[in-house]
Order: sequence, then C-alpha cells, then structure tokens
Amino acid sequence: MKDKHIIEVLDNASIKSLSETQVNEIQAHARECVSCRDAYDAARLSAVVLQSRAHATIEPSPFFQTRVMAAWREQQAVENVPAIWRLWNSAKVLVSTMAVTTAALAVVSLMAPASTTPLLDQSLSAYSAESVIMGQSSDDQMSYEQVLSTIYEDDDDAR
Amino acid sequence: MRQAQDGEESAFAEIVRRYSPRVFSVASRFFRQRSLVEEAAQEVFLKAFTQLGSFEGRGSLEGWLTRIATNTCLNMVRGAKRRPEFTVSDLTEDEQSWLDHQPIDRSEQRSVENNLVATDLADRLLSVLSPEDQQALLMIDGEKASIKEVAEATGWSESKVKVRAFRARRKVREAMEKLLGHRSKDRASEQVTR
Repeated sequence: MKDKHIIEVLDNASIKSLSETQVNEIQAHARECVSCRDAYDAARLSAVVLQSRAHATIEPSPFFQTRVMAAWREQQAVENVPAIWRLWNSAKVLVSTMAVTTAALAVVSLMAPASTTPLLDQSLSAYSAESVIMGQSSDDQMSYEQVLSTIYEDDDDAR
Repeated sequence: MRQAQDGEESAFAEIVRRYSPRVFSVASRFFRQRSLVEEAAQEVFLKAFTQLGSFEGRGSLEGWLTRIATNTCLNMVRGAKRRPEFTVSDLTEDEQSWLDHQPIDRSEQRSVENNLVATDLADRLLSVLSPEDQQALLMIDGEKASIKEVAEATGWSESKVKVRAFRARRKVREAMEKLLGHRSKDRASEQVTR
C-alpha cells in the first residue's frame, strides 16, 4: 500500500466501510503522497456530506393517510364509471361546439338565398351583353315593336 | 394483506399507515421539498393499490413498496431538468465555511445547522450525477445499504450497482477535490494579499 496510490481503494468502497487497518494504511500513504492526500480529504468529506444527506428524511404528515385514501376513492370513482360515459364526459364540450356550429351554418344557409339572389340578378342585368354593346342601360331598352318599326321604316324610306 | 387484495379500504389505510415512513424515506433521497416527497409517496401508494393483485408475496411487502417507490421517484426525477455543474463561486458563505472547518474539526458531533449546510453541499455534489448513480451512492455510502439491498430495491443487477456506485463515488470525490483545491488557492491568495 505504501508505494501504491490509494485512489482506487477510495473509489471502490465508502471510506466509512473501510477497516481500521485499511484507514491507517491510507493515512500513512497520504502523508507522503500529496495527490492521494487531496483525494483522501475529498473522499472523507464526501462521505460526511453524503451521510448528512441520507439522514435528511422527511416524515409523513398526520394527514397523509387521509389524503391518500381520498385520492384512492376518487380514482376508484373514475374507474367505476362506464367507458362510454367517460368518453362522453371528455368529448361533450367538443360535440356541443360542433352542434352549435352546424346549427348556425344551417340558419345562415337558409337565410342567404333570399338576400343574395336579387343582388345577383341586378348585377347580371347591369352588365348584360346588350347594354355593354349598345351602350344602353336597361331602362332605355327598345321594345320589340320599336325595333320592327325602326327596321321597316328604313325599308320604306329606301323604296 | 389478503383483505387489501380483496379491495378492502381499511386494509389499504393500514398499509399506508404502516409503510409511509419507509416510502417517505425513499422519496426523501430524491427530493428535499416536502410537497414533492408527498406527491411521490401518494403516487407510490396509488400504484401499489392498483397493482396489489400482482404481488405474489414472494418477498416482503416493504421490499415491494420500496421498489415501486424507487422506480416512481426515478421517473419523476428523469422528467425534471438537470442542474448544470456547479463551481466554487456558487457556494454560499456557510458552505465555504463548512468546508474550511471540516479538515480541522474531525469530531462527529455536528450542529443541526452544520448538518443542513452539509446536506445542501451534498445536493450540489450529487447534481453532477445521473439520478440512478445518485441513488446507488446515497444508499451505499449514505445509508450503509449493501450492494444486494440496492439491487433488490432498484431491480438492477449487483454488478450494475457496483459499477454505478464506483463511478458515482469517483465523480463526487473529484468534484469535492476541485472545491477543496479552489479553497486552498483562495486561502493562499488571501495570505499573499495580507
């Protein structure tokens, strides 16, 4: 041990679990080897802090048992509810929202034709081929008789 | 036990009363905050009640609960973020003073306050390890558990426990050595300035 570094020994087992002979050998070596002395000091302090940490336990509060049993009953209540009911419970918000949206769309689609069709007709007549070509609005369109008389009047004039 | 397996509530309550100190002790290894320890312990008992039918009674109920507790806590810790490696400048004044006085004062009698400082320091050192390595080291070096006991509590093989403990011990010792090295350098520079 005297010539051999002790670091392996320190890492192999807790310093608290070493026998007195082992500790004496380590200390003898540490007195002569600076790097092993640093390692030994560090291992010794690490063991002290780890023991302190291990003893820092939290005790259960007096209400802990009551709380666990309440959580257990709640869990049991959830598990005893039929699967279809649990599915409904989790999906009811989504289903309700979808139903309201569908109803709203249905109302809108029923109301829409009455208000949109006249507008469509107006826009069509406003841009009819006749009005665009002749440059006339629908108000001053010629009647059928007027068209005929205009044609035949021209023929009479020619004769 | 049979009553509990039959779903009798009073039997469950008795299990919680009898084994909660053990489950809390396991959870305290992982967490320092009471709320987290209680949350973990509650989860352990709820899991245990659900799986009670699968308990065949080969080992002790305490051993079975310890294993559930260890695995539950490990899963909780794995989900949490790991702290970055600390440096000597992160140490509080109390921690630095604790380190300063330890090599001189080798007595085992320490005040409660000193214990708290040592516990904080342990947490800092343990933060360099994985949750699994922390467990192995705390059980063996902190609680003086045997390799076999750790293997039973965690479900790992004995050689795996040995490897974890060796690796963890080395890392913690090196981290502590770094702190002590910085401390002696600081002392030297203080003396020079004086």
